[in-house]
Amino acid sequence: MGQVDLEFKPTVPVFDANVALGRRHDRIVSADADTPEATLAELARAGIQRALVYSPHAIDFDSNDGNNLLFETVQRHDALVPQFLCNPSVDDLDKFAADVAERDIRAVRLAPKAHDYPFREWVAGEWLEWMGSVNMPFWVSAPDIDPSELRETMVAHPEVNFVLAEVHYGHLSWAVPLLKSLPNGYIEISRFVLFNGIARLLEAIGSERILFGSAFPESPMAPQLYSLHLNGLDDDTLAAICSGNLERLLGIQ
Amino acid sequence: MNTPVIDMHSHVGNDPSNGMVDDVDAYIKTMDTAGVDRAPVSCIFYGDVTRCNDTTAAFVAKNPDRFMGVAFVTPFYPEQAIAELERAFDVLGMVFLKVYPSYVRKPIDDEAYEPILQWCNDRSIIVKCHTEYMEGSNTYTDPDRFIGLAQRYENIRWILAHSGNVREGQLRAVAAAQSSRKIYLETCSSWGDHGTIERLVEGAGEDRVLYGSDMPLMDARAQVGRIVTADISQEAKRKVLGLNAAELLGITV
Repeated sequence: MGQVDLEFKPTVPVFDANVALGRRHDRIVSADADTPEATLAELARAGIQRALVYSPHAIDFDSNDGNNLLFETVQRHDALVPQFLCNPSVDDLDKFAADVAERDIRAVRLAPKAHDYPFREWVAGEWLEWMGSVNMPFWVSAPDIDPSELRETMVAHPEVNFVLAEVHYGHLSWAVPLLKSLPNGYIEISRFVLFNGIARLLEAIGSERILFGSAFPESPMAPQLYSLHLNGLDDDTLAAICSGNLERLLGIQ
Repeated sequence: MNTPVIDMHSHVGNDPSNGMVDDVDAYIKTMDTAGVDRAPVSCIFYGDVTRCNDTTAAFVAKNPDRFMGVAFVTPFYPEQAIAELERAFDVLGMVFLKVYPSYVRKPIDDEAYEPILQWCNDRSIIVKCHTEYMEGSNTYTDPDRFIGLAQRYENIRWILAHSGNVREGQLRAVAAAQSSRKIYLETCSSWGDHGTIERLVEGAGEDRVLYGSDMPLMDARAQVGRIVTADISQEAKRKVLGLNAAELLGITV
């Protein structure tokens, strides 16, 4: 009979690289998941210490509005680290850069398909130069970007780190080759639940560019964390994937 | 904890573009790590169902202590389907039937399935069917359809694979399970949101939810993790992980 840990808690510090915070306009988010208090409760239940959070409103409507809403919401909660959305096609770079600096934002997120712009040098180039100048990584969801645009644009910006989020097994055919070809690319593993997926990533890109993320509340918080703990990783590698790599990327401890 | 774990949704077959490779050694290794004792497996990927079931039988023969065979037929070739059902259950010793209406592009309650379902009803066969809900897309396997099927075919015990997958599908799957004690809900998903397992257990009851992984497409460790880390009782976790399946299949582990 197999051994299963019915009371699993992670054995290393965990910093969730991908959490959405806030009620959505287009679908129900569980009542126990759409407030900071509810998110913190779920983090505690999962044994996770911190989460990088973004506003879904910033994707679906106005990035500036959503960012402000998020910042107000997380003010009293050190465990919730805010990530701002930007829309390079319409937002004011100078204003955004000043805002980010003033509020000590350590990561941004892009949503090219949701915001209807091609992720090309002629749209995002100036923003990427700014990101490189201030060591600002950006997140982008795999369903939300054209992989060819991502590759062709980012090969020209090796100084900018980016995180490919919510990579599903359906993205396998391009996501892993892209990450292998771009050393500035990272992967957040919330949806990378394919058979032996962790081992595949380790073999393809090593452990330093893999981030634990949950995509909560679109996904439950802890299953991939459980899977990581069953992948035969040594403590240092587990700790790096669960929090260390993200802390290094964000420039925080 | 030592507790039986039976994976009620596993496959034999290869689809490398989605990362699916059925190497039996890797399969067993992952089952061992995840604590999975036994896995009923099906091959649903050939147009010739005889090849499908022979492939399944050959895979099971490599390790009959760990694998059991699940039959597959398609209504594309109705005369062959009945003969193949007889062979699968009477000669190959398979334990239940898997159907996949999305391949056929006919709903599960279409008349094309009648001969197959009548045969299963006559023999009190367990039937597992892929289910999903996609607004504005095909509804071939909408969980709603199983309410009428359960009434019509009183001897069939139904397993709703993926339990409708997304939230709306899950709600429909729960409603179906509440309409008939012959309907069971299986858990594997790459799309289930926070609270999925809790929703299924609360809605259908802890006695009729079954753990599944979709191996070797998805990894058993993450899918076991969905059960282990759910906010349900330990007893409910044990039932979902394997006690329910053992009772349904009439086996001991």
